[in-house]
Amino acid sequence: MLVLDQLERSFGGVVALAGLDLRVAPGELCGFVGPNGAGKTTAMRCAVGVTTPDAGTVTWDGAVIDLERRRRIGYMPEERGLYPRMPVLEQLVYLARLHGLSAAAAAANAAAWIERLGLADRADSAVEELSLGNQQRVQLAAALVHDPALPLLGEPVSGLDPLAVDVMAEVLLERARAGVAVVFSSHQLELVEGLCETVAVVNAGRVVLRGDVRSLQRTGDRRLRVEVAGHAMWWTSLPPGTEVVARRDGEVTVALADGVDPAEVIAVARRAGALLHVRLEQPRLSELFRDAVDQRVGR
Amino acid sequence: MNAPRTVWLIATREVRQRLRSRLFVGATVILSVLLTTLASLPAVLGVFDPAGPSEGPDDEEVETLRLGVIGELTGTDRAVVEAAVGAVEVVPLSDVEAARAALEATGPERVTAVVVPGERVLTAPSPSLFDLGPAAAGRIGEALALAELLDADPDRVGEVLARPSLPVEQVGEVAPAEAQARLAIAYVGVAFLFAVLIMYASMIINGVIEEKGSRVVELLVATVPVRWLMTGKLLGLGIVGFLQTLTLFTPALLVLVVTAGDRIPAGVGGLGVAIAGWFVVGYALYAVIAAGLGSLVSRPEEAQAVLTPANVLMIGGYLVGFLAINVPTSAFAVAASFVPFSAPYAMLVRQTLADPAWWEVALSALLTLGTAAALTVVAARIYEGGILRTGARVRLSEAWRAG
Repeated sequence: MLVLDQLERSFGGVVALAGLDLRVAPGELCGFVGPNGAGKTTAMRCAVGVTTPDAGTVTWDGAVIDLERRRRIGYMPEERGLYPRMPVLEQLVYLARLHGLSAAAAAANAAAWIERLGLADRADSAVEELSLGNQQRVQLAAALVHDPALPLLGEPVSGLDPLAVDVMAEVLLERARAGVAVVFSSHQLELVEGLCETVAVVNAGRVVLRGDVRSLQRTGDRRLRVEVAGHAMWWTSLPPGTEVVARRDGEVTVALADGVDPAEVIAVARRAGALLHVRLEQPRLSELFRDAVDQRVGR
Repeated sequence: MNAPRTVWLIATREVRQRLRSRLFVGATVILSVLLTTLASLPAVLGVFDPAGPSEGPDDEEVETLRLGVIGELTGTDRAVVEAAVGAVEVVPLSDVEAARAALEATGPERVTAVVVPGERVLTAPSPSLFDLGPAAAGRIGEALALAELLDADPDRVGEVLARPSLPVEQVGEVAPAEAQARLAIAYVGVAFLFAVLIMYASMIINGVIEEKGSRVVELLVATVPVRWLMTGKLLGLGIVGFLQTLTLFTPALLVLVVTAGDRIPAGVGGLGVAIAGWFVVGYALYAVIAAGLGSLVSRPEEAQAVLTPANVLMIGGYLVGFLAINVPTSAFAVAASFVPFSAPYAMLVRQTLADPAWWEVALSALLTLGTAAALTVVAARIYEGGILRTGARVRLSEAWRAG
């Protein structure tokens, strides 16, 4: 269990973390999302010990993350970086050995990852000679080459092509099924929705929404999507407990608070014109995200 | 994995990375060839040949030379000596002890050579590279032999011709060739030390900036303590420096030994070890300073600006060492050899020219290494505070607080 407890950190008056709490259980694949500047990067840096929090603690299985434990983390910094002039294979072997693997194990793991990520023909090329996408693959391999017991990945899909994203998703699921806690941050909410069982939404240095993706969707405001013929502005007179959250190509999306009967909204729409389509859905992750971080919603 | 193994892993990566650079290897080889060529030039041009162009009187205007005499100098003797070395001022001396005192004196009482007519010429260890004493003594010896020939009884001509010069004798402990060699070593050693320290300070700062600029450092500090990272880098670059220095100078030194081995006095070889030792000690001191400062910037073009304090210390130490060459036994030289920033230079000069006690050398090295160790703590904290802050240059105080 990875526990970030009441983390606080500010940089010269700018608050990055304002009492951030997060618990990630073994076998959990947790999506870590939040708008830019929410504190995701700082929280991850605190977890790997790159940044020291002003207050609060980071523990893993009940103990402070010491050097030995840090070695078993698989960190992929959001700020990418590898030795530009070092060949791919040699670089991965080096990083694996820095994490405590023997020379033989490091060589075997590095070769396996190069193969799996389709970099076999570039093993001896310097990283700077690779395309950006391939550099991203190497960066992913660098985070996983030592079989980490706790992968912490910052934006691992950014810059990856769909094939590499598939490989990455497969790898992360595999690690989670093996009983490892996996945390990864991303702005690609559809991917997080499809891949992760749980999600933590961060805003202004705090976790504002946390839990199982499916149950969050169940408890979140349902979305009623309605399209009415004609141009009437029927949505201006909706009952209390509803809110228009999107309008696109004539389709109006209305968020329904608990206890609001969708039929009331549909009735309002029908008075304005013929219904073209009506759909009642659980909210998407991106909608939950917006609800959670949007100040105007007041959460 | 424990600290020494990790530090060694980091160090070997640094070594491999430098050796992989074709520019670095190429430049080293070219420089080495250049130095070897320079070292073989004297042999090729015949400078070491006794009949070569370096012999023969020169036409330089020479100041009045003070010539000590034990006994009487005849008119012929004096005329011939003056024809050979220019005007002389004759200083009568009572015996060899007085001669030694006059030869070893500093200031106006000093005599360049002492003549014992019909017997020998005495001279003293050369106090500086530019002193003409030993050379003048040789010429005086030749001149006196000639004068003897002028005065000689025809029956003794054969005997006098068989001895074309009066024997020149060294008063004091250091042979002139060794004195010359030691002075040359002091100059070359100090200049060499300065050049390599400046060069490797620059290499360290670029190595730090490379990791910071490529941001790989975040991955590294998430895995190993910053101190180990810094130590490994400094150790690795130190090994590279040592290997490069060996590559640069070994062929040239071998050529010198082969072509002019008989001219290299015994006892000089040990000074090579002293130079190497002071390189290690000086590197330890300046390397930690360079690493701490290097962590403050992210771009190579800022490297030289941020390195200024280290450069000032290195240039200051070099100048102090250079000055000490002229006064190797002075209080100035002794003091400078115990101030950590000038100690590598000044103690090297003293070891070369003034023969300090072994404990003085050990104390000086310990003081310098102790300062390096204390600065490592400071530099590591600055490194920790600065290394993750990419972009604009980090102020020293900010890095200290963040570290």
